[in-house]
This record gives sequence, structure tokens and C-alpha cells, in this order.
Amino acid sequence: MAERYNTTSMPSISTTTVEALSLPVGAEAAGAIADLHDEPDWMREARLDAWATYAAMEFPRKDEEAWRRTELSRYPLDDMRVVFSGTELNGIENLPPCWNYTLAPANLVSGVLVHCNGARTHATMRPEIADQGVVFADLHRALRTHGDLIRRYWMKGTTTRPDFNKFTALNAALWHGGTFIHVPAGVNIARPFQSLISYDADGGTGLHHTLVVAEAGSRVTLIQDRVSQDLRSAVNAEIVEIYAEAGARVRYISLQHWGHHRYSVSVQEAQVAQNANMVWVTGSMGGGMTKEFLRTNLNATQARSTMAGFSFPYDHQHVDQSTYQHHKAPNTYSDLLFRNVLRDRAQTVFYGMIRIETEAGGGTEGYQENNNLLLDDARARAIPGLEIIANDVRCGHGATVSRIDPEELFYLQARGLPRPDAESLIVQGFIRPIIERVPLAHMRDRLEEEIAERFWR
Amino acid sequence: MALEIRDLHVAVDGKEILKGVSLNVERGSTHALMGPNGSGKSTLSYTLMGHPKYLITQGDALIDGVSLLEMTPDQRARAGLFLAMQYPVAISGVSLYSFLHAATSAVRGFGDRSARPARGRFNAHLMPMREFRKEVNGKLDLLEMDPVFLRRYLNEGFSGGEKKRAEILQMALLKPKFSVLDETDSGLDIDALRIVSKGINALQDELNMGLLVITHYQRILNYIHPDVVHIFVDGRVVKTGDAKLAEILEEQGYEWVRQELALGD
Repeated sequence: MAERYNTTSMPSISTTTVEALSLPVGAEAAGAIADLHDEPDWMREARLDAWATYAAMEFPRKDEEAWRRTELSRYPLDDMRVVFSGTELNGIENLPPCWNYTLAPANLVSGVLVHCNGARTHATMRPEIADQGVVFADLHRALRTHGDLIRRYWMKGTTTRPDFNKFTALNAALWHGGTFIHVPAGVNIARPFQSLISYDADGGTGLHHTLVVAEAGSRVTLIQDRVSQDLRSAVNAEIVEIYAEAGARVRYISLQHWGHHRYSVSVQEAQVAQNANMVWVTGSMGGGMTKEFLRTNLNATQARSTMAGFSFPYDHQHVDQSTYQHHKAPNTYSDLLFRNVLRDRAQTVFYGMIRIETEAGGGTEGYQENNNLLLDDARARAIPGLEIIANDVRCGHGATVSRIDPEELFYLQARGLPRPDAESLIVQGFIRPIIERVPLAHMRDRLEEEIAERFWR
Repeated sequence: MALEIRDLHVAVDGKEILKGVSLNVERGSTHALMGPNGSGKSTLSYTLMGHPKYLITQGDALIDGVSLLEMTPDQRARAGLFLAMQYPVAISGVSLYSFLHAATSAVRGFGDRSARPARGRFNAHLMPMREFRKEVNGKLDLLEMDPVFLRRYLNEGFSGGEKKRAEILQMALLKPKFSVLDETDSGLDIDALRIVSKGINALQDELNMGLLVITHYQRILNYIHPDVVHIFVDGRVVKTGDAKLAEILEEQGYEWVRQELALGD
């Protein structure tokens, strides 16, 4: 049993406290977070165990395949801090106005949860949805009411586990701010939930943890966006765990608008049970450097997953995505379509893997496609991979790197569109198959507007 | 008020294709430019629209007295020039509707994105949706096109006839002063040719457009009646006459022109 920290010697957080305090990452900070939220003992122990794992691990080395093309030495790893915002529940209206655009109008969503610097600042849910037993809450609070449930699912994935890498260990030890959804069996939530993770100039290290549990036959959509206003370089070490139980249908729209000083490692994994369907849409627009591990495990027959993604880095932005479609049972289906547009000196890396285990033979299909559209001096690298150990499967993968076709550009200009508008239209057309999968016209319009804006910078 | 082409010389990859073309297309008039394959007809149309591949080595092209040569293709379009292309380009992911909306707005001076307020709504600078929609529907009727067309991606998977109708639909919305029709009749069956021609004639009446109809065959001229016919061979206009010239050409073939020229030399 870990030592309990004396709350009086630690930042005493109440809703009236206003000053922010910060601690360097470490066991002390882990205990402080557990104290702050009066966490159950198992979580406190899990945190301290994870810190021990963290302390014992090395940062990934450049010769590891996953880190070969992303320069970890540029991450500000020496100055990672947990920030305790003094304020809680100070309202959505206190968010910087430039962040509000990320949220859809309240009447279109089932609930909104906003975090700033690891603290919940806003939470709403429609009463008729709460009445169906649905939980949409910040993870710290949910631990008090649904601790046993959370414990059953906590960090048992292939990548979403403390010892996957140093960043998952860090998150496991010090996660601070979290999004939790639990949908009871058979409950169908039509309108999306919306979660915003934000950090202001005092934000410190991003350590958000998201857990979505969709019980058998339920249906839910989460739109999660990320914004930051960093004045100095900051690290983000984030985890997303999704469980689609038998027959459940889960859509996860993961958007990323980090400021250019944020260096991120985001590990996201979905476990898909029998006859369940998992739909991903992931969009990366921000961040200095972004490393994402995106994984779907198809654990039982008839499990399906569709992964779609786009990114549009510019300037010196760097986006590195490792995807994994893991088929563990027969008659499972997965497909993936990731499209990147790159401007200026931006870089992307796509490392995609489909693995089909022996026992997954028989009617299983896995597909993967990565297309890159380059402008200026940008550079895209695509490394598709297949590991098929089973018989009787269908697989396909492909990758392309291209530039804007001058004939397309001429055609649009000949119709009166100035060159930036013509380029923007072509790029929007290129990303359209991904954008189409984003729910809510409001969200699609916002993304298209953002893309168009990049041509008028 | 004319589209004037003055002694235009154009080279592609160092090879001279147009060797001194002069034409004067008044507003409201229809000129046919007829010539065999490889004579440089498409080079003329692309050059007028400002395709970067074509290098003008001599001469000028003007619209209402203003030279086009320093203008980008989009500036030419906004100055009132339209080119119905022989091979319209397909652009995936861009619906015909959103393309038409953007292009129409740009040509009609609804302002560009750069002038848009910093946090204005997306498409706030475009022509009002309702007004635009109403106008498009009217033009679809004119060209006997199904509105589902608008949801399809621009020219993607369109048949030859559908592409040409889509070109004329664009012409109808962009309301040019002068249009160059580059082999608009190619790939059209007789019914489609009739519909497209009817549309072009209606638009010419509506807009008082100057038309330069570039064609290999006389067929389209049965529907769009030219005031002037030019015969174009080897990068030059070699003969100019009235509508009868097209009929003679149809009967005698281009070989006749070559012989005439040889005799004339």
C-alpha cells in the first residue's frame, strides 16, 4: 500500500482557490493527484506502480521502428510538470473565445465536457440521456461512482497499458483530467457527446485519459477535440481506451488542434467484441510534433472497424501515425483510409500494419490505404505493412504520394477561382471522403473552413 | 466591344503552333473556326484562357480593348471570357454544386476569402444560397439536366454528353461576354447536340455573347448559325467567309482548301 500524502502539505484545491500550482512529474505528483480527487486505493496503487514502471523505462530509441522517423530529442522531456488549476467549474464562458468554435451548438449534442489544464471546467448532459443510466463525466468524479467498472477496464489493452512505452507509463501514473463514458446495454444515443481538452499558457504537461465503455448492443458517438495556447514547449502524453462490447456501435471522432509548441504522444486503442462496429475518424491539424498510435483489436467474429484519418500540417509541423488493425477472430472486417495534405516544410509519417492471426482465418478482410498530397517542400513517408498468418483472407493495401494536378488547377482558375481558392477546393475534395464521416454539419463546415483558411494565410 | 486576336504567335515546347492568328469577334456575333486535327485550334483556345503551357511569342489578345496577356486564367474568366473545354477535367470530392457556387460567386464579384472577416462563417463571402439555388435550377431546366447532377463530383464518371452539358451549365451561370467553344460537339449524340445547342443559343440571346465555335465538323453549325466562318490550317486562318463556306468545306473536305491555297500561292 502506497503512502498517503498529507493533504495539508499539498496543494489544497477547492472551488474557491484561484492560484495554479505545479509539480514536476514524479511520485509526489502522483500522490497529490490521488489525494486531490480522493481516489480509491487501487487507483493510487496503479499510479505509483506506473510511476515505478516509468522510472525504470528508457525513452524510446531512434532505432526502434516506431520512432525512426520522429525526432524524440525535440520533445521538451526535461520540463514536464503537472499543473493543478485552482479553479473548477468556472464555466465555459471563461474559455478563450477562439476555443469555443470547436464546440457544436448545444442542441445538437447529448452532452459537453470541457477540461482546461486537467481540471473540469464545464459539464452538461441532457437529462433524458442521464435517465437512461448513461454516464458522461470527468474520469476523476466517475471513479467515485463507478470505480469498480473503471477498474475492470483500466489499461488492459495491447498499447493502452502502463508498460507499452514511457509515455503510457507517464499517463498511467499521472493522468490528470479525463473523459469517461459508460453506455448501458441496449441504450442508443443518437446525438454525439462532445469533449474538449484544453491547456492555456499555464497548462503544463497534457495527461488526459479517455475511457469509453459501450455495453452490448448500445450505440454512442464521441467527438473529442484538443486545443492549447502554449507559450513554451510542452509535452502531451495521452491515452484513449475504447471498448465496444458485443453488438455495440461506437464512433470516435478524434480531432487535434494543439498549438505549435505542443509535442504529443497519443495512444489510442479500441477493443471490438463480437458483431460490434467501431468507426474512427481522426483529424490532426495542430501540434509541433504529433505521434499517434492508433489501434483496433478485432477480438471476436463479425467485429468490424473502419478507420479514417486526415491531417493537414504546414510550416514545420510533423505528424507521425502508426496504425494497427489486429484481427484475432474469423469473419472480422477492417478498413483504413488516411489522407494527408502537407504544406511548406511539413512532414508526415504513416506506418500502417494489418495483422491477421492464424485463428482469424476464414472470411476475414483487412484493407488499408494512405494517400498524400504535397504542396511546397513538404515530405510524406508511407510504410504499409501486412502480417498474415491465416488462410482464406482478403487483404489489400496501398500508398500514394502526389502533387496537385496542374490541369485541375487550370480548369478551376479558368472558371474564375483565384489560385488559393482553386487549391483549397482541390484539397477539400481530396479530404472529402474523410470529412464526410464526421457527424454534424457544423463540425464538417468548421473543418472545411479551417482547411480553406490555410490557403489564405 | 469585341474579343480581338491580333497576329498571335504561340509556341509549345519551343515549337511554333500558332503562326499569326488575327480574329475580331464582336459581341452578339458568332464566328466558326474550322480546321483539321492538329491545325492548332485547341492551342488557340487554351492560349486565350491562359494555360501556362503555351508561350505567346508575338501578338496580342484583347477583351473590350484590354489585353488578356498579363492576366491569370481566373482574371480572364472574371473579365468575361469563357472556354468550354473539349476535355473537361474531373475533380474528385468536389461536388458540381459547390464548385458552381464558388465559381459563380468569384466571377460575380462576391468578394474573395481574403476579404472575409476573420471569424466569419464559412462561405459567408459566397452568393446567397437560396438565390443561387433558384438560378441553378432554372439553368438545369434549360439544359434538360437532372438536379441529382449537382451532387455528383465535378465531371467524375460523367459521360461525354454529360460533361459537355456541365460545361454549358457553367457558361450559363458565369454569364461571360465571350465564349470559346472547343469541339463542344464532339462526343455528343444528335439529341444531346440539339439540347446543348439550344442552350447556347438561348444564352447568346440572353447575354449578347460573342461566340467563337471551334469545330472539326460542320454538324454543330446546323444548330448554331455562324455569321462568319474561318478556315484554320497549320496555325493560321487561311480563308474567311460566310456560313456558305462551312457548307462548301463539308462537301469538299480540307483537301480542297489545301488545293485552293496551293493554287493561290
